[in-house]
Amino acid sequence: MSGICRPRLTEERKQWRKDHPFGFYAKPAKAADGSMNLMEWEVGIPGKPNTPWDGGLFKLVMNFPEDYPSKPPKCKFTPPLFHPNVYPSGTVCLSILDEEKSWKPAITIKQILLGIQDLLDDPNVNDPAQSDAYTMFKNDKQAYERRIKQQARDNIPK
Amino acid sequence: MSSDYEFSDDDGDYYDDEDMVDGTQEEESEDDMDMDAFGEDFKVVPKGKHKAYEVEYDSLSQAAVEKLMKQDVDHICGIFGVDVSTANLLLRYMKWNKERLIEKYMDNPTTMLVAAGVVVPEASSQPAPAPIRTHSSTSSSTTRRPTRATSKLLALASGSKSAKSPSVSPVSPPSSFYIPKSLKPKVEEPFVCPICFDDDTSIQTLALDCEHTFCFGCWTAYAGSKIRDEGEHSMRCMAEGCALVAPDHFIRSILIPEPGAPVGDTSQEAENKKTWDRFQELLVRQFVACNNNLKFCPYPSCTNTVSCPSAASKASLAIVVPTVSCGARGLGPQATSQSQTEGGLGLPGKEHMFCFGCPIESDHRPVVCGVARMWLKKCRDDSETANWIKSNTKECSHCQSTIEKNGGCNHMTCKKCKHEFCWVCMGPWSEHGTAWYSCNRYDEKTGVDARDAQSKSRASLERYLHYYNRWANHEQSAKLSLDLYAKTEKKMEDMQITSALTWIEVQFMKKAVEEVDKCRMTLKWTYAMAYYLAKGNQKDLFEDNQRDLEKAVEDLSELLESPIEAENIPTLRQQVTNKTVYVQKRNEIVLEDTANGFVEGRWRWNVTVEGFDDPEFAD
Repeated sequence: MSGICRPRLTEERKQWRKDHPFGFYAKPAKAADGSMNLMEWEVGIPGKPNTPWDGGLFKLVMNFPEDYPSKPPKCKFTPPLFHPNVYPSGTVCLSILDEEKSWKPAITIKQILLGIQDLLDDPNVNDPAQSDAYTMFKNDKQAYERRIKQQARDNIPK
Repeated sequence: MSSDYEFSDDDGDYYDDEDMVDGTQEEESEDDMDMDAFGEDFKVVPKGKHKAYEVEYDSLSQAAVEKLMKQDVDHICGIFGVDVSTANLLLRYMKWNKERLIEKYMDNPTTMLVAAGVVVPEASSQPAPAPIRTHSSTSSSTTRRPTRATSKLLALASGSKSAKSPSVSPVSPPSSFYIPKSLKPKVEEPFVCPICFDDDTSIQTLALDCEHTFCFGCWTAYAGSKIRDEGEHSMRCMAEGCALVAPDHFIRSILIPEPGAPVGDTSQEAENKKTWDRFQELLVRQFVACNNNLKFCPYPSCTNTVSCPSAASKASLAIVVPTVSCGARGLGPQATSQSQTEGGLGLPGKEHMFCFGCPIESDHRPVVCGVARMWLKKCRDDSETANWIKSNTKECSHCQSTIEKNGGCNHMTCKKCKHEFCWVCMGPWSEHGTAWYSCNRYDEKTGVDARDAQSKSRASLERYLHYYNRWANHEQSAKLSLDLYAKTEKKMEDMQITSALTWIEVQFMKKAVEEVDKCRMTLKWTYAMAYYLAKGNQKDLFEDNQRDLEKAVEDLSELLESPIEAENIPTLRQQVTNKTVYVQKRNEIVLEDTANGFVEGRWRWNVTVEGFDDPEFAD
């Protein structure tokens, strides 16, 4: 599908500009010379209202492989996020982002981002990716919530 | 299996009588011809009389395995009354376990069909599409109701489809379980592929039963990526969350369009053909992997399979050494041609020989898999090296060089730093005076014990090294057999020049080299076996046989290495031929006796071996 990677991303960009969920942003990264790099997107995912994540806007980088959309993009929080399903590197562990699990070429960027937003307040304890957040989530829900609220405050957009 | 002696450009009638004592030759070459004649059908590997150290097995080509698969599929079709694609998907989903499939299907056919991705789940239960969910486990993703997601996705692509769609797409799911969809040109309405966003009015679109429609090119590319990159034989619909699996004829139709059907990209044709072939191979591989009686040939790019029911269970591996061959030779897909001479693996055009029971070595007869594995693990562990150093050397207390004491008194002088010390207590020699052979400073109980322990460890180490050295020696010699082969070839040429012998008449050399190579493999593994055999009469007998074989092999090796002079070629020929036959017989005896021993449960080990009784106390 290498031939359709760029047209698809161009179209995704078009669709996103036409309509996207409230509070989100997503745009291709700018290279040093000011040109647009379609293969890498900078996005922001807001925490859902009425959750400890509310108020925060979490930055994430999406890297699209050449065979996108046969293969999913790699999504990485920058800086890494305190969350049971986020690897210490910041990479998100999510079944729809795994080509051997639920990734399908028809999944749009919008769907991915909404999926990650869902994941924030609804971690999957069966598939932990970092030990800190996982153990705290399992053993001390209150401390975990405090930590998440703090993280949300640290990520209030300026 | 010993069909090593075919030659590329001859029919096999070149042996004159005195050279050829092995009567099986003629049969084998005939059988080989039969094999070629049958071509793609079942290949029954030629076998003369069944020997104790050989297992019964069949070599199957990819087509033959496909036939086996078809039998299962037909069986299921007959029982369930479903079509071939459905039966295929069901069997693949249940890992070809027919009994379980039948049981589960009888229990609840719909659940089974949904789980296997044959039909979409019933629509009524869940009206709205499930929101995109995180980490769905397989069960939840397969039961999700995905059909309505189409409109959502298409709405994103373009709003026009939903307006016109009711007339085009059926509202209710198809009544039968599967209705194959062929190419559905939808030129009359503006369609935008949700994957590539192509809105060209001439594009061809396809959908599975779930009605998730995508363009032809995207389907092809997706199939290519799944099959070629991921080696995945089950390809689900491209729509988010849709668990429907594409049946074979659907995959075929996107990879190899029927003549007359419009084609997306003709330049990809060859590539797509390869993908289709790969897909077929993946299906066969899955079938083989699910069946204990079958194993895929491990040689690169070989697609044959071996069926060996007698070695299918773990328990049987304590009784037989299932060395099998898939029937192909050499490397590459065209390896079946016997003229293949370029082969990096040992002798040119070698048979695809492998052990059905383990992946460690192609032929580790006479020793069973469990013991061979144990031996290799022991040899690979550095512990033995460390052990040796520990029990044989000490460090100079001054410069830390490692020193091995190989004689003389306790007064040591380090070669490197000239430090003088006592070997026993390691103290400086200046304190010892004339106590050359006994260090009285250490002659206490603890000192004696320490030395006892050291000598014990040394003894066990020496025992190991005895076997290891011989094992390694034969391995090394076998590796050098390629050199020997080249040398022999040269010798054969020389003989043809210096004497009146013809090409055929000098083949005895080649045969001798091959025999030596084969026997060295046997010998090598007899040392691994002897290391673990418990002391007793059986072991003595085993080692007698081993010794006889070894002596014969070394004699023959020596003959092969000896220089050739024109006048004694006839004697040499006579000697080599005689020795070859003798060696062959000795090898036969070792293999036969060991194999019988396993069947009779005659062998006792000095360690615990998987599948055997606990060891007798020995050593």
